[in-house]
Amino acid sequence: MRRIESHIDTNAADYKANFAAMSERLKEFHARQHAARFERPQRDIDRLARQNKLGVRERLKLLLDPGTPFLEFSTLAACREYDGAVPGAAVVTGIGIVQGREVAIHANDASVKGGAWYPHTVKKIVRLLDVALENHLPVVHICDSAGGFLPLQHGVFPDRYLGGRVFRNQVKLSQASIPQIAIVGGHCTAGGAYVPTLSDYNIIIEGTGAIFLGGPPLVKAATGEEVGVQELGGAVMHTSVSGTGDYRAATELHAFALAREIVSQWKRMPKTIIETAAFEDPYYDTKELYGIIPKDRKTQFDMREVLARIVDGSRFHEYQPDYGTTMVCGFAHIWGFKVGILANNGVLFNDSSLKAAHFMQLCNQNRTPLVFFQNITGYMVGREYEERGIAKDGAKMLMAQGGSVVPKFTVIANASYGAGNYGMCGRAWDARTLFMWPQAEIGVMGADQAANTMADVKIRQLEREGKQLTEVEIAAIRDPVLEKFRRDVEAYTSTSELWDDGILDPADTRNALGMSISAALNAPIDDPHYGIFRL
Amino acid sequence: MRRIFMIAGHEAECWLTHDGSRFVLNMPDGAVPCQLVPTGAPGAYVLRTGGRAHELRLAVGPESTFIHLNGSTFEVGRVNPDDRLAGREGTAGGDRLLAPMPGVVVSVAVKPGDAVTEGQPLLVIESMKLETTLTAPRDGVVAEMPFTAGDSFGLKAVLAQLTPQEE
Repeated sequence: MRRIESHIDTNAADYKANFAAMSERLKEFHARQHAARFERPQRDIDRLARQNKLGVRERLKLLLDPGTPFLEFSTLAACREYDGAVPGAAVVTGIGIVQGREVAIHANDASVKGGAWYPHTVKKIVRLLDVALENHLPVVHICDSAGGFLPLQHGVFPDRYLGGRVFRNQVKLSQASIPQIAIVGGHCTAGGAYVPTLSDYNIIIEGTGAIFLGGPPLVKAATGEEVGVQELGGAVMHTSVSGTGDYRAATELHAFALAREIVSQWKRMPKTIIETAAFEDPYYDTKELYGIIPKDRKTQFDMREVLARIVDGSRFHEYQPDYGTTMVCGFAHIWGFKVGILANNGVLFNDSSLKAAHFMQLCNQNRTPLVFFQNITGYMVGREYEERGIAKDGAKMLMAQGGSVVPKFTVIANASYGAGNYGMCGRAWDARTLFMWPQAEIGVMGADQAANTMADVKIRQLEREGKQLTEVEIAAIRDPVLEKFRRDVEAYTSTSELWDDGILDPADTRNALGMSISAALNAPIDDPHYGIFRL
Repeated sequence: MRRIFMIAGHEAECWLTHDGSRFVLNMPDGAVPCQLVPTGAPGAYVLRTGGRAHELRLAVGPESTFIHLNGSTFEVGRVNPDDRLAGREGTAGGDRLLAPMPGVVVSVAVKPGDAVTEGQPLLVIESMKLETTLTAPRDGVVAEMPFTAGDSFGLKAVLAQLTPQEE
């Protein structure tokens, strides 16, 4: 496969300005990520120490194979909710390696509000279990939660994808013969009690771990019975009397060693075989991505320059290089795995949509996973394009994309506006993982267009009432809308709301994709089949 | 597919075959029987060909092999013939720059009479919330820039014209 020939001049003024702007953004991003992971009020750290419990990050270290990567999801979930007081939505999720096996991990973070389930906590756990279901990944639950956050119970409990979905997904995992283990390192109260009890295996840590449908205060209120935590749901009672618990561990160290021993007993299923090649680092320096991504989002850039810093050996076999050129399609390897890549080099036209649809069919036919690199402002509009059937051609692309049986992975590299987000496998389209770069934006349209549209409506309404507006008055209507929209389309809003699986430093994209693809191959790939293409 | 080696800046085609008893080095102008025997020392070999024996040392790198022979070092680059031959020949660009989509001109960087080189930015257009820089398709002299900043244009409008190339 041929190497992409880069035309980037690392001494050019543009490159340097872009590099500086991205470095600045990344400084902020890494600081926020560090804060979400490690910075807690002293009283919360003291409380954990008093309870004789390890923090969630130490627990992960005990669980995971030393020196192996951990692909953490949505570190900045809820960063724009609850006044920023629930970092990471009080839960850590991700894919890690335990005894050489890829596993999905769901770990409550008791240093945040006692590990309580907020609406975003539930969303993050449900997403993780969806990842486990789609990729057939065994699950390790590390339970330590105060239970649902009662003041927001409507956002935690009743709807289809809220609390009940956590347990429903556990049932579906079990039904699909995907093993689960729970380590109970704190309280599992009410609904939370079903996490360990729906797991195939569970371990309760003596002294700190407990499982009950109603804790002592609730029991007292309900029946007047006075009972202590240990008698009601402690390790000794559950492992020797009720049979609710399988193993009791004297310490956290003991618990995680036992958990690793149990995981090593699990049957290893053969992975799906796809085309592979010898692993090769990109020929071009991955960090050069910082200088390639323009500091102004509106400036066009060549996605091939991006791909050259992501794929093995910077090698790329481009498909239909002269047709529908705003859609770059081709084959490459990431971590040795053969993938089909679709990357935007401009607006989607009729020809670019058809090319994308055809290419995706090719990839499904030969079981090649798909990777999407989004920088898309939409499908082309205007009379000429409607007459050529742009909506019909877009529908073909959606039919091919949505009907794909091969695993799909999405990187929102810059813009993700409107229906372009759909065609390029946005969140609704079941990408196995979907990541965003820190400067990327997502919305029905750009902030400026949205603000102008909304301001125009308001201005015309006032004009109909006979009011003539001055420039200052118009600005007073438009500017607050613009400010709100600018914030709403930012990557931090997306990641706060879990519309993605996390923001990535662009230089980490290759590794995140490599781990995602490797994990996806735990599940089989179906035979290709589609709905009806509007030809 | 032929094998291609790069020796002292020249491409050399050759390939090795075996005639049942010995190796034969094939070149476009003939074939030479040869034998490469390791001496036991790291990287050291004896090359026997044409009735003579040459002592040499080899160091194999990812893209080329270095041969130390008779007090000199030669670099033999290995060229992947697929990469070399599938690589697209640069085709000369045309005289006209046509609008890839309808839009508005944001800025114009050159004026008629300016000499430009291939890849040099000529103008920036905006369409569908994206700013695209259009560059010179080849070296030449600008004949016409029909639009100025703020003008809108339709699909396939001529955005820049270079003076025709002399044959």
